[in-house]
Amino acid sequence: MKTFTFKAVILLFLLLFPIFVHAQIPKITFAPQWIPQAQFAGYYVAQEKGFYKEAGIEVEIVHPTANIQATALLSTGKADLISLFLITGMSAKNQGLDIVNIAQISQHSAILFVTKKSRGIDKLEKLDGKKIGIWKSGFDEVPKALMKQKNYNVEWVPILSTVNLFMMDGIDAMTVMSYNEYNNIINCGVNEDELNVFPVADYGYDVPEDGLYCLKSTYEKRRPELLKFFQATLKGWDYAAANKAIAIDMVIERMKQAHIPANRVHQEWMLDKVLEMIMISNRGAKRGELIESDFLKAAGILENSTKNKSKYTFAEFYKPLDK
Amino acid sequence: MKKTTLSYHIIRNVLLFCIGLFLVIFSVYYYFTRNTIRETTRENAIFLANHTVNRIEQVLTPAEKIPEIVAKMLESAFLSKDSLIPFLKSMLSINKNVYGSIIAYEPDYFPEQGMYFAPYVCRQGDTIYSSVLGDKNYEYFYMDWYQIPKMTNAPYWSEPYFDEGGGNVLMTTYSVPFYTYKNGKRTFSGIVTVDISLEWLTEIMSQVKILNTGYAFLLSRNGVIITHPNKDYVMNQTIFTIAKENNQPAMRETGRNMIQGKSNFESAGFRSKWKSGKLWINYAALPSSHWSIGVIYPDDEMFASLHKINIILLILILIGLSLLSFVIYKIVNNLTSPLKQFAKSARLIAAGNFNVHLPEIKTEDEMKELHNSFSYMQKELGDYIVTLKDTTAAKEKIESELRIAKEIQMSMIPHIFPPFPDLPQIDVFAVLKSAKEVGGDLYDFFVIDGNKFCFAIGDVSGKGVPASLFMAVTRTLVRSISDKEFSPSVIVGTLNKSISLNNESSMFVTFFLGVLDLSNGELKYTNAGHNPPVIIKKNKEAVMFEKTKFIPVGLFEDFEYGESSLQLEPGDKIFLYTDGVSEAENSENELFGDGAIMDIIGRNLTAPPRELIHKLEEGISAHVNGFTQSDDITMMTIVYNG
Repeated sequence: MKTFTFKAVILLFLLLFPIFVHAQIPKITFAPQWIPQAQFAGYYVAQEKGFYKEAGIEVEIVHPTANIQATALLSTGKADLISLFLITGMSAKNQGLDIVNIAQISQHSAILFVTKKSRGIDKLEKLDGKKIGIWKSGFDEVPKALMKQKNYNVEWVPILSTVNLFMMDGIDAMTVMSYNEYNNIINCGVNEDELNVFPVADYGYDVPEDGLYCLKSTYEKRRPELLKFFQATLKGWDYAAANKAIAIDMVIERMKQAHIPANRVHQEWMLDKVLEMIMISNRGAKRGELIESDFLKAAGILENSTKNKSKYTFAEFYKPLDK
Repeated sequence: MKKTTLSYHIIRNVLLFCIGLFLVIFSVYYYFTRNTIRETTRENAIFLANHTVNRIEQVLTPAEKIPEIVAKMLESAFLSKDSLIPFLKSMLSINKNVYGSIIAYEPDYFPEQGMYFAPYVCRQGDTIYSSVLGDKNYEYFYMDWYQIPKMTNAPYWSEPYFDEGGGNVLMTTYSVPFYTYKNGKRTFSGIVTVDISLEWLTEIMSQVKILNTGYAFLLSRNGVIITHPNKDYVMNQTIFTIAKENNQPAMRETGRNMIQGKSNFESAGFRSKWKSGKLWINYAALPSSHWSIGVIYPDDEMFASLHKINIILLILILIGLSLLSFVIYKIVNNLTSPLKQFAKSARLIAAGNFNVHLPEIKTEDEMKELHNSFSYMQKELGDYIVTLKDTTAAKEKIESELRIAKEIQMSMIPHIFPPFPDLPQIDVFAVLKSAKEVGGDLYDFFVIDGNKFCFAIGDVSGKGVPASLFMAVTRTLVRSISDKEFSPSVIVGTLNKSISLNNESSMFVTFFLGVLDLSNGELKYTNAGHNPPVIIKKNKEAVMFEKTKFIPVGLFEDFEYGESSLQLEPGDKIFLYTDGVSEAENSENELFGDGAIMDIIGRNLTAPPRELIHKLEEGISAHVNGFTQSDDITMMTIVYNG
């Protein structure tokens, strides 16, 4: 009888041991704002190279789908932490999602207006009265604000994801990300010297993009874990910058797993461009820091486009982890 | 210098020429054959591309008709809203190539349907499935197949895509906009599509076989790889990303030409990771979808037959050249072997063996001529040597006789000095150097009438034996005449008469004759056309006699000669000479001259006769400097001691 009890205790312990161990390592589910691509290479690298594990956290990366956006993943609890454009994050908070920015990863805007030279648009003002393609899924606030400020009457044509309408000359110009759609156009056989490009940053709209967001409650409860995530992610980005080929291998692998056409040349281009925006700030921001002037600039754009004034202060929106 | 043979020279030159000729012929042949192969391949490539294009078009073009007809039907309100799905189903059932079809309407076209209305049918296995698409999660208005034909007002073949719903099949969609009349106005109302599976496309493209490892590929309008033997490229890469990945800018240019709908057969400026080596590409566009077919021809395989022929040709030429060398060597050796023997014979003949055996020549060619010439030379040389022996013997005889004649001639003139040891009043020294074996100069002296010293010097015209005989006659006559006559003019006049008579050979002699009275030093003389002698006044000066006005002896029988006289003081000297002295020539044809004679005499006024003549001989010798003496040289010096 005694032996039986002892054996039962041992068995019970063995069965429960993984749960004990598991419970000791905090888990963070992270969702970038788009499907797998080199834009998120730093996170993949940090995970693959075990930087998160070294920091003492377990990270799962999930991706939004065409129908379920990252904010939805956050609000439904399917993700603890998401990546969003600054404008998108602020807009979501305006709409009642109680989120905070815990780090501003990218420091610049990658948005460009691009037009074929054959269309004869060689100055920004010539976009007045033209058809311009724009993402249907968001990211439209900044280019729209620029056109509004310039008082140009633009016919916006929502586009899902391809550059085909632009290639077929169905529109005069298109808003593109320098790291993504712009290179797609190049990879469809249009030479760079056949294009005119107007970066929004050149017209006073250099609004930072990718940042990390979580629910305010998560921030309050899990701040040390979030800090570990942030630091390990920066380490991931540093590693990706120093070992681009390895980072691209990891990105391609993720894309294949997600059954997304993977094009190495394009992903290399994307990594280069994204790293430029992460690594260099010309406004004195530290890595991962959101500075108030950028916040205010974004708030102004948002207010202009939605007619709603932000209901929160900079301090309420931005919660740096190291303070 | 290295010794080389004739065959070496001939083989080298012939081989060099043959190799040069071969290179020219080969280059021309290679150029034209290559062009022909390229042209043939180009024609085949164009045919192949057109054939493949046609095969694809056979599917795509009929597929285009379906939505175009449907669009027309919708425009003419031929179909009611409720009949759309049954219509699409029946259309699908008779068009096996069509995988699915949609009629998608603009938002709120049918107010009762709300925002979205898009009847859709598609195959699922053997059954045809239908539904009405469009909701918040499927906003078809923003999809390429809807948006692009709407915005461009033109039918549109979509970029190929993998249909995730229907077993991950490669598909493309052909979209046609349709219009209806709203308030009497033709208004865009929606899009009709057909979905075409592209499985057969891969099949058609893989059937395109080019040489051994050539291949075909298909590009979409955006340059996306639709089919390619490398499956990893398909739908993942555009030709432009491949170009960038492999750093091949020329591939990008070709890709641009392709998606712009151009067609060409050209040497590819790029290399492929898929097929190594130089490549040729033929590309052509599909008229319907504006996709482009590329066909890759490996250069090495394209010209493989040419390269094979080239190698065979090269081997044959090498063998041919070797054989040619061997044959030339043999021929030249056969031809030239007698030459070696001739060379040996020539050396023996040169050594004096005229009867040497010549090589046998059986042919009737140049070698035979050479043989005949050698043989003739052999004979002629033999004859010549015999003649030469006779001639040499005759010549030696003449020379020996001439030598004797000279000895006799020399014995005629006094050559013992001093001649009159018992006559202290005078001293004489004289030399005669003949130019040839026997000469025409003469001198003589003797005592007549007890105390008169008679001396003479002369120069017979011409040279040789006739001159010496004439000289002997002259000397003999002078001696015989002066036995009875003591006056120089009488002696010379008599001499002239005697010589002029019967002088058929018209020879003459310049002649100076003097008679010195030893008792008082009075000199009487007659100069018949001879060089004026020199009077050397004792230790004072030397003066040339005045020039004579008398002609040489032997020309005119009746010529009257006169005489002159001169008083000699003891110690005075008279120097006589012939024109062989004054006209002694050096190699530059410069004459010794009277000036040089007077100069030497002037420097040796006190010299005794023998020494004076020696000095003059030295002077002449220095002047002529070894140049052949052309005339007799005769000098005589007389000193009157009182």
